[in-house]
Amino acid sequence: MTATVAFICVFVTVSILFYVFYLPGTLKLGPEKTRQTYLRERKEVVYENLRDLNFEYKAGKFPEADYQSIKTSLEDEAAAILAEIARLENAGAPTQGRKGARS
Amino acid sequence: MSEIGSFSLLLALALSAYSLLAGIAALTYVGPQAERLGETARRAGIATFAAVLMAALVLVTAAFSDDFSIAYIFHHSNRDLSAPYKFATLWSGQEGSLLFWSLLLAGYGLVLRLRHKTDQRLFAYASVIIAAVQLFFLLLLNFAAHPFAVVEGQLAADGNGLNPLLQYPEMVIHPPMLYLGYVGFTVPFAFALSALIMRYPGEKWIHITRRWTMVTWGFLTIGIFLGAHWAYSVLGWGGYWGWDPVENASLMPWLTGTAFLHSVMMQEKRGMLKIWNMWLIFTTFMLCILGTLLTRSGIISSVHAFAQSSIGSWFAWFLAFTLAVCVGFFVVNKRHLESEHRLESLVSRESSFVFNNLLFVLACFTVLWGTWFPKLSEWVENTKVTVGPPFYNSVAVPVALLLLLLTAVGPLLAWRKTSLESLKRNFLWPSLGAFAVGVVMIVFGVRPWGQISYFYSFVAALLAALVIFTVLSEFVRGGRVIAGHTGQNLWLSMVQLWHRNTRRYGGYVVHFGVALVMIGILGTPFNQEAEKELGYGDKLNIGKYTLVCRSYTQDDKPNYSSEWAVIDVYQRDQLAGAPLETMYPERRFYKASQQSQTLPQIRPHFTNPLVVTDLYLVYEGINQDTGRPIIKAHLNPMVSSIWLGLLVMIFGTVIALVPNASAVRAIAPARVEAVPLGAGD
Repeated sequence: MTATVAFICVFVTVSILFYVFYLPGTLKLGPEKTRQTYLRERKEVVYENLRDLNFEYKAGKFPEADYQSIKTSLEDEAAAILAEIARLENAGAPTQGRKGARS
Repeated sequence: MSEIGSFSLLLALALSAYSLLAGIAALTYVGPQAERLGETARRAGIATFAAVLMAALVLVTAAFSDDFSIAYIFHHSNRDLSAPYKFATLWSGQEGSLLFWSLLLAGYGLVLRLRHKTDQRLFAYASVIIAAVQLFFLLLLNFAAHPFAVVEGQLAADGNGLNPLLQYPEMVIHPPMLYLGYVGFTVPFAFALSALIMRYPGEKWIHITRRWTMVTWGFLTIGIFLGAHWAYSVLGWGGYWGWDPVENASLMPWLTGTAFLHSVMMQEKRGMLKIWNMWLIFTTFMLCILGTLLTRSGIISSVHAFAQSSIGSWFAWFLAFTLAVCVGFFVVNKRHLESEHRLESLVSRESSFVFNNLLFVLACFTVLWGTWFPKLSEWVENTKVTVGPPFYNSVAVPVALLLLLLTAVGPLLAWRKTSLESLKRNFLWPSLGAFAVGVVMIVFGVRPWGQISYFYSFVAALLAALVIFTVLSEFVRGGRVIAGHTGQNLWLSMVQLWHRNTRRYGGYVVHFGVALVMIGILGTPFNQEAEKELGYGDKLNIGKYTLVCRSYTQDDKPNYSSEWAVIDVYQRDQLAGAPLETMYPERRFYKASQQSQTLPQIRPHFTNPLVVTDLYLVYEGINQDTGRPIIKAHLNPMVSSIWLGLLVMIFGTVIALVPNASAVRAIAPARVEAVPLGAGD
């Protein structure tokens, strides 16, 4: 019984150590997040807000004046984000993050 | 067998310690080997799951093989215990439940680490934080509450058995659900703290954790409601919620977690409330730890606290350490959490979320204060004080009514600001519907001016109706847009609406479920009860019913002996003819633990076309003075609506978890590129 228990414990330990520390080849690393990535995420959110507004307007929830006012402010926000993305791309900043993210 | 269990726990401890330390080193060390070190940390975290799972399997196997050499099995199981309860032994005592906590955390950690490619650096930070929490629980298991401690001396022929209160089918499901909820909040906590530590740009971490948070919230909701249903079905006092400290312990993180689910939308859509959200999720996690402490330490006396021990100081230190870490990183990085927008109007979707959050936090603080006040009083003034339902209800009732109002109003408000014209458009039909419900209630005999509790119930019914009509109006409006666009009929369009924005419309279904739950709760002031010693042929009148005792009988099973009453139920004073039904309230005596337990019988009846009332019978045992059996009867209107509401809430949560279908392209707004037509949050 003791030998069986010892065998199970040794077998499990060796298997786990092998899994944890045996890392063949090179690791594939993802890009690190950049300002541009963040801005693209924000752009998607503002577009989603516009879709939302558009849908609710079509559903009759807002009068025309409210719709136009909120839409204009959302479009201004989207325009500012697009302008910053364009400025960063023109300045030659990398569109993808640099390598180096750790797992 | 205990040796393998002990070894597994030690191995898990070593792996989680390595995962933590190597993970920190990989995130702070800049060098060629950092990536490889980080990968070994991730794999060690995954392997921790295998080691903890092996320990849990050993404990379950020991329960099924009646290995009473393990003290935990001896104290919480016995030979005649049925298979489901033997399995439930894993979480029936303190050591086992801590092992179960650790197993669930390792399981969540496994999924998180397998999905690390979503955002490797963010996931690496989150993995380290989960490893730290895992390490705490494994230290507890190895050094303070060891589940594989062995019995010294002569082995007993049988175990002490499972606590009778736990020998009920729901008790096999309730603790895992609750623990999945408690433990699950570690994941959004880990991501939030990671985002703070690394000054993560943007709100993607919220998007990543959205489903984790909803799943966790769903489990906690199911756990709380199953606990309430268990209390209703087993404890025999006729109620489902007694503001017991352990019930409160599960409610507190649910309140802050619910607040987080709402306020996080403001951060996602408007970049607002970043500090608030960060602290909401920190607080929710710490309340989960506090809940585990309350349930497991016995620090505050409760009918639900199934363990007494000295692990309280471990949890207190862990809570203090967690708070210090959160405060420390918050102070250093708080500038990263500045809001991108300000509140533009008090009448807007944003302000409704702010008020909703303030109310949830107020409710949570009230429950926290009421739960801890007796203990604080004991520590400070050395006097024992009891905080009962009147204290909680004095705050909970008005807060619940205001929350219900916001549940109805919130979805009808626009983001940023809402004009008077919008308010008129959106509130007209739901308000008329709620008004009609009020008229119908008065026609059917409800008199809200009779007592303050009746008034509260009446207002709650109107608000619940307002919520339901709001939800319906949102579906109908959205369905019409889809119908106009696709030419489908309205019903198909409403189904398609669900697919287009599952989170939003799933959320509305959850709101519908909440309204049903509130309808169930508002029946409480109309409860009735009666108690009487009933011999053969004796009668007991309650409400519209007359109960006649036909007989008493007994049975003997390997695990317990039982006796029960046979009660015929008639319409009041109409004893001629067949009874409406026969009921069998029961009382059991568990042999291994030498403890008794009531098993009430509950039958729902329509007492008028709008009201379902539970007839709830309890066999309380024999009066020692007269030798006659005592029967207690309750009439509880609308309680069934609570359980129905839970099912609807689960359905809504499941819908919200389904990914959205692709949106349909539509006319673009003028000044930016084309955006698809869909329904946002």
